[in-house]
Amino acid sequence: MLRMHKNLYGLLCLVVIASMLLVACGGGGTPTEMPPEPPAAETQPPALETQPPAPPTEKKIATFIYTQEFDYLAPLYTGMWFAWTTWQMNNHWAWEFDENNEPFPRLVTEIPSTTNGGISEDGTVITMHLRDDIKWSDDTPVTADDFIFTWEMAVSPNNIVYTTYPYDNIASIEAPDPQTVVITFSQPFAPWLASLWHGILPAHILRPIYEAEGTIDNADWLRNPTVGCGPFNFVEWESGSFARFVRNENYWGTPAKLDEIFIRFVPDDASQVQALKAGDADIGYWPPYADIPGLEEAGLNIMVEPNGYSEWMFFMVNEEKSHPALLDVNVRKAIAMAIDREGINRDLLLDLTKVPASFWDALPFYNDPPLVNYPYDPEGAKALLDNAGWVDTNGDGVREKDGVDLEIDHATTVKEQRQDAQAVMQQQLAEVGIKLNVQAVDDTLYFASYAENGPAARGEFDIQEWSDGPLFPDPDIYYWLCDQIPTDENPTGENWFYICDPELDSLIQLQSTQVDVVERQKTISQINQLFYDKVYIIGLWQDPDIYVVSSHMKNLKFSGVTMFFNIAEWDMEQ
Amino acid sequence: MGRYIIKRLLQGIPLLFFISLILFLLMLNVGDPVATMGGRRVTRRADYERLRRQLGLDQPVYLQYAYWLLGNDWTKIDLDGDGVAETTGTRRGVLRGDLGISLLNRKPVIEVIGERLPNTLILMVASELVIVIGALLVGVFSALRQYSIMDNLITAILFIGYSMPIFFVALISMFIFAVLFKRWGLPYLPTVGMFDPQAGKTTAQVLWHMVLPVLSISIISFAAYSRYIRSTMLEVMGQDYIRTAKSKGLPRSEVVFIHALKNASLPIVTVIGLDLPLLLGGAVVTERIFAWPGMGRLFLDHVDRVDMPVIMGILMLVSLAVVVFQILTDIVYAWLDPRIRYEK
Repeated sequence: MLRMHKNLYGLLCLVVIASMLLVACGGGGTPTEMPPEPPAAETQPPALETQPPAPPTEKKIATFIYTQEFDYLAPLYTGMWFAWTTWQMNNHWAWEFDENNEPFPRLVTEIPSTTNGGISEDGTVITMHLRDDIKWSDDTPVTADDFIFTWEMAVSPNNIVYTTYPYDNIASIEAPDPQTVVITFSQPFAPWLASLWHGILPAHILRPIYEAEGTIDNADWLRNPTVGCGPFNFVEWESGSFARFVRNENYWGTPAKLDEIFIRFVPDDASQVQALKAGDADIGYWPPYADIPGLEEAGLNIMVEPNGYSEWMFFMVNEEKSHPALLDVNVRKAIAMAIDREGINRDLLLDLTKVPASFWDALPFYNDPPLVNYPYDPEGAKALLDNAGWVDTNGDGVREKDGVDLEIDHATTVKEQRQDAQAVMQQQLAEVGIKLNVQAVDDTLYFASYAENGPAARGEFDIQEWSDGPLFPDPDIYYWLCDQIPTDENPTGENWFYICDPELDSLIQLQSTQVDVVERQKTISQINQLFYDKVYIIGLWQDPDIYVVSSHMKNLKFSGVTMFFNIAEWDMEQ
Repeated sequence: MGRYIIKRLLQGIPLLFFISLILFLLMLNVGDPVATMGGRRVTRRADYERLRRQLGLDQPVYLQYAYWLLGNDWTKIDLDGDGVAETTGTRRGVLRGDLGISLLNRKPVIEVIGERLPNTLILMVASELVIVIGALLVGVFSALRQYSIMDNLITAILFIGYSMPIFFVALISMFIFAVLFKRWGLPYLPTVGMFDPQAGKTTAQVLWHMVLPVLSISIISFAAYSRYIRSTMLEVMGQDYIRTAKSKGLPRSEVVFIHALKNASLPIVTVIGLDLPLLLGGAVVTERIFAWPGMGRLFLDHVDRVDMPVIMGILMLVSLAVVVFQILTDIVYAWLDPRIRYEK
């Protein structure tokens, strides 16, 4: 018995010593001291491999940090930003968008327009001409059949796709030849340029699956798209850990300069910052503003790309719901002039962003002529309020009119920079005699639906605040339409501003049918000016994509739409 | 003993049933998985209704629970929204080993959990080993040298570790051993992940990347375990039979490790028995900070997207483990203390 126990404790000691030895032998120092990566097939968890011999030269591997893991790696099946971004590595859009968010042809020879005959006179037929040299990584040509198949899969009731939009607006698609795609809409469809062909499906791989199973939901390709038409080939994706892409040696375009892209999923912002500082990653996203100076001190570059979103204050301009003062455009203008928005950007957001003057700030084509913000002018604001009849007669510091105090409720979600800005605005508005009651609500409660009594959906605040924009890169803002105001009969309405402006309504409806880009631009410009003149919204700061980039990465450009549009040109110094 | 185990297992069945029912009802209030589907904009109304129908979320609660528990391959469902149930279901239900399909990526829940469980076990078993072995050594040492300078010093250090939140320990250790060590030109530890992409997923790499997560978990758990051991050892060392063993001239090591530690282990086994099943749930904070792809992160990620099948799968797995480990704990009791008998 005693011997057995001695053996037991001996075994325990051995376990302890073995653990220590394993950790001690675990390596350390710099990554370059590590042996090369074993073959992909041998890297599946939980099996662990022994170290292979040292590599002759180090590969150019760019490590990205994603704070969210994508759910799919295929078009149609997800709305996640990180998924959309990622499949641009191994897939292409028919046309992509550059660093100025301007479209350029990728799989097509030119972007359809009325002038090149790509768009019919009545705006219902769009004809695309595909390049004749494009091919999938398995050497199969990319043809019109892939586009038709993508449309068929998007609208098939058997597939659980994320959205059928915009493909459900298409009446038919035909392919007169393998390089021509003729799309017929049931009625003119203005957002075609922004919303069509965000990646395509390989018909030669997925059609047999669809024919056999009646759906592609379970197709392995949706999560392991080993065949693509982009500059990189997908290799593997280990849940929660990483995904790898290697250069597509069979790419039809200019071959990528990087050997490999390694995406690591790091959900914690603070960990991302430490990893970037430690050199464990080359590219990170959306760091907290407060960490940006530290990242720059560590030698990392910060790149900012407008993406269509900006932080806005939305006025409730509705006779039934608003504070009476907000029905007066001069009061709204006074509020805009009483807040030092440039100061907020400078002090709270480190001057990394700009104050948006237009809802289409990130789409300069539609913000033409460009608007200029109302200046920070507290004295001017006071004068406007005086003229509007809002004066402080009882000396309590708050203006009033007809016995009603100029006391306004402002609510947004819980986020450090929003609460900081609220405090600043509260103080600055108090200086002109406006009392701002600020609230911060948890986002799930704040954005709860009308049916769930969500306060924003129910229009419970005089001023609401969140990050918003048009249907970027499309300029549409359909959710400002009168028929989008939520009611018990229409609980899913998205006009949470409760503004019903007949002039605005007719312009929004008009632009949604204008397939001709130039005509549409004129209408959007009118809407732009109307927003500005009537001060329905006040821009606080742009909410751009912010990238943290290691200094040894070269040739990087980002787009607010197709973020990795020039990833084939990316390079790194070793 | 065999009858006792069977009896306990049978008792566990209704318990697990009630747990599943309560959890399922709670899950319905977590949020709406189709509201945004991960995007920044709300899901279009047409897509919203289609997705709810295709994912079976438009069914009454009792039917959703029945499908989850029993499957739906015995009935027909309406997939195309024409109001006619024409397609035979494919789910077999939890009772037949089908935990369902993830709402996010349409992968079987068993596969989703299976991908993460090994990573969690690697991390948590290593941490538990470090904690238990270390706490045994420290606890016994402190008990044998009660109120000595070393005892007081160890107690102070342990309580400093115990009083720090794990996110702080994790981030500060990451900053010191990864960022600062690199800046100072010293060999440095990795910050996140399981391996370096240049090196590949080797045993050495995984162990090297485990150092900081294991350290963080251990620091905050070490104090409780070692204090348990210290106090129970102090109590046992004052018992008559220990005095007898000493008076009979047995070697000190034999008195301490054979006669005292075994009897002092009973409360520790209870604590370990409660902790072990929770290992399957992973270390939520640690895994998040060190980007360790384990069950804790899986749970958080899928709670965030209201992926009910995966959340239910994880919670039921942990519940099952608690039931099983409690039975195992009872068995270990009997082995450690011959006075404990479960048979009538």
